[in-house]
Amino acid sequence: MRDLRAAVVRFATALRRDALPVTVVQVTDAVRALEHLDLGDRHEVYLGLRAVFVTRPEEIPVFDRWFDAFWRVQADEVVDVMAGLMSVPVEAESPALPAGAQQRDTLALEGWGEEEAADTGEPLGVPGLSDREAVMTQDFSSFGPDQLDEVLRLTLQIARRLARRLSRRRRPAARRGRIDLRRTFRANLSRGDLLELRFRRRKQRKVRLVLLCDVSGSMDLYSRFLLQFLFALQRAFGRVETFTFSTKLTRVTDHLRTRSYRHMLRRLTEVRDWSGGTRIGESLGQFNREWPNLVDRRTITIVLSDGWDTGEPDVLATELLRIKRRAGRVIWLNPLLGNPSYEPLTRGMAAALPLVDVFAAAHNLAALRSLAGKLSL
Amino acid sequence: MREEIRKIQDMMEAAEYVTDAPVATSVHLATRLRKPLLIEGHAGVGKTEIAKVMARMLGTNLLRLQCYEGLDASTALYEWNYQKQLLHIKLAEGSAGPLEQREHEIFSEPFLLRRPLLQAITQEDQSPVLLVDEVDRADEEFEAFMLEVFSEWQVTIPEIGTLKATHPPHVILTSNRTRELSDALRRRCLYLWIDYPSFDKEVRIVERKVPGVNARLAREIGRFMEVLRQLRLSKVPGVAETLDWANALVSLHADYLDEAIVFETLGCVLKDADDLKRFRAEVGKAGFAPFLPAEG
Repeated sequence: MRDLRAAVVRFATALRRDALPVTVVQVTDAVRALEHLDLGDRHEVYLGLRAVFVTRPEEIPVFDRWFDAFWRVQADEVVDVMAGLMSVPVEAESPALPAGAQQRDTLALEGWGEEEAADTGEPLGVPGLSDREAVMTQDFSSFGPDQLDEVLRLTLQIARRLARRLSRRRRPAARRGRIDLRRTFRANLSRGDLLELRFRRRKQRKVRLVLLCDVSGSMDLYSRFLLQFLFALQRAFGRVETFTFSTKLTRVTDHLRTRSYRHMLRRLTEVRDWSGGTRIGESLGQFNREWPNLVDRRTITIVLSDGWDTGEPDVLATELLRIKRRAGRVIWLNPLLGNPSYEPLTRGMAAALPLVDVFAAAHNLAALRSLAGKLSL
Repeated sequence: MREEIRKIQDMMEAAEYVTDAPVATSVHLATRLRKPLLIEGHAGVGKTEIAKVMARMLGTNLLRLQCYEGLDASTALYEWNYQKQLLHIKLAEGSAGPLEQREHEIFSEPFLLRRPLLQAITQEDQSPVLLVDEVDRADEEFEAFMLEVFSEWQVTIPEIGTLKATHPPHVILTSNRTRELSDALRRRCLYLWIDYPSFDKEVRIVERKVPGVNARLAREIGRFMEVLRQLRLSKVPGVAETLDWANALVSLHADYLDEAIVFETLGCVLKDADDLKRFRAEVGKAGFAPFLPAEG
């Protein structure tokens, strides 16, 4: 029994390293669960431990990977299974990752962490940071690495203001609401008659945000700031689901749920599975298929992208329409819109434009700030 | 396979619920470890059904808490029956007595409306099954409140005192993923993801649940649904749709599928104009044959 416990702990450690946040209670539960399972039946042990360790369908592949690695030993004897368990070193590389998987073309986010740590020593004659207005209207693409902290601070401020606006639940209403029996009753307890009526209003349903952020190569100059904005917004306003996409979609809500921005960047680079091109339509399609219920009438969906789509514009139009039908509001933020000579003529952008409720720039802090007026239903 | 798990599987089948090893194992562990079981899956794959079958299996009560946006602690736990209290005061008017005593009278058990959570806590003879249905529809605040109740199984009503469960309930939570549930809740529960059924399972479900269906039709329906779900539909049909459709086909005396009868009854399965269009385009392109099982 002691060995069994040790084996489960090792198993849990391996899962944790593979970004599955297993808790101590789950480990204890796993050990308890094994007491109620047929240890000679591999499938049963698999199902049982999966019920304990996995908490969402996306985690199943990670679990499967490690379960296979641990239980690879085909044995009907429990002892053999356990011996197999003990002999697999926890340090082993994740078995499903081929060696070349990390090598890709130009990626957004590539090497950001290092860049921040090492001073590139390039002042480039950027405007002084004390000059706030200048910072507010400066295009994101022209910021130097040394300005990151200041921008982060301002972004956070803006995000907090937006979040306050979003979470306001009560609105003044001319009509009085329904009679609140509970409070009326309490107020009149000593009288025996209901002289003083108390009212209540229907609670406002809260607004939710779904953010879909383009992180393909063409967005590189902007996406780091926009991600920063997403991070700040999610921190200040809990009801946010965040996804990144290039050729495929990744849910990053949990990765943004961390205290420091730098830590978040590190976690994001760990999951990065995006590559060169941009398939906006197909990414939105993946969103619609895998997260069909995330968007409803109280949801504002924000797409952050320059609209450079290498896929079919028809696909983009169809998938965006699907979102639009369900969402309270669809906002498309395009950083290129900040450029006075820009016209949304790319095929993707032209297809998307008629379906969008708000089309706005997102190239500088002032543009992000002016979002406030658009974030209500 | 453990004897208990096989037994659960048999009992579920006997209760007209077509099941498989993942479901049976999860239910087994949930009852043994006394942990809440969180079941997620697409609409119409039979999540709620599990709680009902479990209650029947354990021979106990099923208490159901249907979640919706704005559901708050008082609606889920208890409320005072104000109308009754009011009436009581009116009737007792004139009868003298100190205010405290009168207040004490009307804030006592007979005036308490027990909502599902309180009912679950105050079961006297055996643990009930508590179904918290569509928990993703409730707010985050309610989720936190529920976690609190689940950890202690006791509630304090200021006017009455603290009530603690002598037989804590078996808890089943279901979610359609309209919102991601908090990690705290997820990690507190055992987890079961129910996907659309495999071909074999779906055929078994149809044969089990639809009287009068013949083996050929059941297999053809199973195959049709399997292929249909691979088209990129916006509203993928669940098992509920399969059963509606099978019943419709049987009542039309269909013994097998052909293009005409499928188009006639397609509304049972596809409920979105775009999906209908997509299906028609698919049949126009590749014909109807891919939707039928291979011969032999």
